[in-house]
Amino acid sequence: MATVEIRNVAKSYGPTDIIRDINVQVPDGAFVVLVGPSGCGKSTLLRMIAGLEDIDKGEISIGGRVINDVEPKHRDIAMVFQNYALYPHMTIAENMGFSLRLAKQSKAEIDQRVGEAARILGLTDYLQRFPKQLSGGQRQRVAMGRAIVRQPQVFLFDEPLSNLDAKLRVQMRGELKDMHARLKTTTIYVTHDQIEAMTMADLIVVMRDGVVEQTGAPLELYDHPANMFVGSFIGSPAMNFLTGTVRHDGGQQTFETASGFRLPVDAAVGALDGLTATLGIRPEHLQLAQTGQGLGGKIVTIEPTGSETFIVVQLGGDRISALLRQRLMASIGDEIWLMPQAGTTHLFDSATTRRLG
Amino acid sequence: MSSNRSTESGKRRRFRRMLVDRSIDVVLLTFSLLMLLPLVFLVSNGFKTPQEMLAWPPTVIPANPTIDNFAAVLTQTPLLRWILNSILFAVMSTIAILATSSIAGYILAKFRYRSLNIIFALVLATAIVPFEVYMIPLYFQAQSLGILNSIWALLLGYLVMSFGIFLIRQNVIHSIPDELLEAARIDGAGELWIFFRIVLPLLRGALGALGVLAFFQAWTAFAWPMIVATNREAYTIEVGLALFQTGFTVDLGRLSAASALVLVPSITLFVILRRNFVQGVASTGLKE
Repeated sequence: MATVEIRNVAKSYGPTDIIRDINVQVPDGAFVVLVGPSGCGKSTLLRMIAGLEDIDKGEISIGGRVINDVEPKHRDIAMVFQNYALYPHMTIAENMGFSLRLAKQSKAEIDQRVGEAARILGLTDYLQRFPKQLSGGQRQRVAMGRAIVRQPQVFLFDEPLSNLDAKLRVQMRGELKDMHARLKTTTIYVTHDQIEAMTMADLIVVMRDGVVEQTGAPLELYDHPANMFVGSFIGSPAMNFLTGTVRHDGGQQTFETASGFRLPVDAAVGALDGLTATLGIRPEHLQLAQTGQGLGGKIVTIEPTGSETFIVVQLGGDRISALLRQRLMASIGDEIWLMPQAGTTHLFDSATTRRLG
Repeated sequence: MSSNRSTESGKRRRFRRMLVDRSIDVVLLTFSLLMLLPLVFLVSNGFKTPQEMLAWPPTVIPANPTIDNFAAVLTQTPLLRWILNSILFAVMSTIAILATSSIAGYILAKFRYRSLNIIFALVLATAIVPFEVYMIPLYFQAQSLGILNSIWALLLGYLVMSFGIFLIRQNVIHSIPDELLEAARIDGAGELWIFFRIVLPLLRGALGALGVLAFFQAWTAFAWPMIVATNREAYTIEVGLALFQTGFTVDLGRLSAASALVLVPSITLFVILRRNFVQGVASTGLKE
């Protein structure tokens, strides 16, 4: 177990900056998820920690030791790849014991550690098989087993669940979380799936275009996104954004949308009268309101899932989506009025996209 | 009524499918017979007397089979020596080509330096230059090295095969993901270890295919052995066989007998490596 510190790290391929001056502190034993859209540099950053990519600028240290110029094999890390990277010509036992064999451990020691990892992961019956004889989920487990037997200071995961189907992904998510709870090894996990990030992380690092947009606990990011990008990236369905103007009306601040609707502003912001801003409302925070209150428009889409109803409403020039807890006896084209729950809206400066208040 | 009709149409469909299958069989059988026929005649001619050889119509099974031709070939010419030379030459050339192709192909596929692109382009460019163009300069090299009339001279022209490098490079790109090598590096493997324990085992199919190609390339080489081997003892079988066709006569009986004998090692090798060969060819999309 160890802390991982990433200080002012940068990387570029020719003229293209992939990583720009990134700082991240990974506490000892934490499960940290790097999340962001494709091409944001999260995998590159992970590969730099692993030693598979050179670090152009800055420093990365593991357990207090700067590892910029340390060979991957001497960094005391284990990595799990998206495509599992199992050696096809070796049995599961050989795959899992590979690193120990290279480290010249005794056969008894290797057998004991592989056996133990196989037991944890439920792979005991498959040890003599070859990777191609296993299902996707089992292969992923073998890849995890290969990481476990090394007992490294840090686990690195590069989108390990992306190749699995939806159901298996949910199951493996749980297993990974269990594994972390049991081993308490510092883990850095890369994904583009914000649900994986939300459900698994102690700490989420949201990245875009090679910079960190925000770092925080999952619910912190959900409740207080630092900017519109984080607001839209974290949470599903995505946050609605309405542009408009902040108004001061007799001591009360309201937000007037471009389509002319008025909503109360929750954010404790200073006097911003006349400021052009963007209001973020999560679809799940909208609820039905009386006619004439909040936002009103015509229903464009209705998707009932049984437990909840997802609707899209046309508000003048804007479209917003809402996730309602109740069943809706309405059809496409009907008028509907929606109001955000008190204290759930987010106000952003339209010019900088940064959060206000 | 309707079920009757459906079984009727089902029968018709099955019959039509069977007809198509049989037609394919017949066509394939015809072509394979056509390709086999010369070989069959070659072997059977080896057992014929000179009179029967020239008789018309030709017979497939000799009326008076004789082993005189084989006996004469084996006793009066150093045929076994030639076969041995050829086997040695082909085996060593195959080993050399497998080694150079796998190392070069792997490096060209997996290591990213700009200079490697230029090297790869050069390797491909050599495939365009016919061997006959640089055969003579290579001969002078062999001569100045003092290795004429030896196996080393034969090998000189057959150590590297640009097509082999290309084949292995494509195969590595196609079948060995970067992550596999990266995982091994993180696991603590060195580059040589990775090459011998991970890359080579995964290239078995492609190396099998390349091995067969390399073996036959050397086995059937004619021009190069012809010019570097000047005494009878140093000939390969291809050169030796040509001796049966002198300027004025062709000793068909002995030529056939010798050729039939020569087929034995190559067919044996193909049978042994057949599965590898087919697999390698299929996995690389290589067809010749």
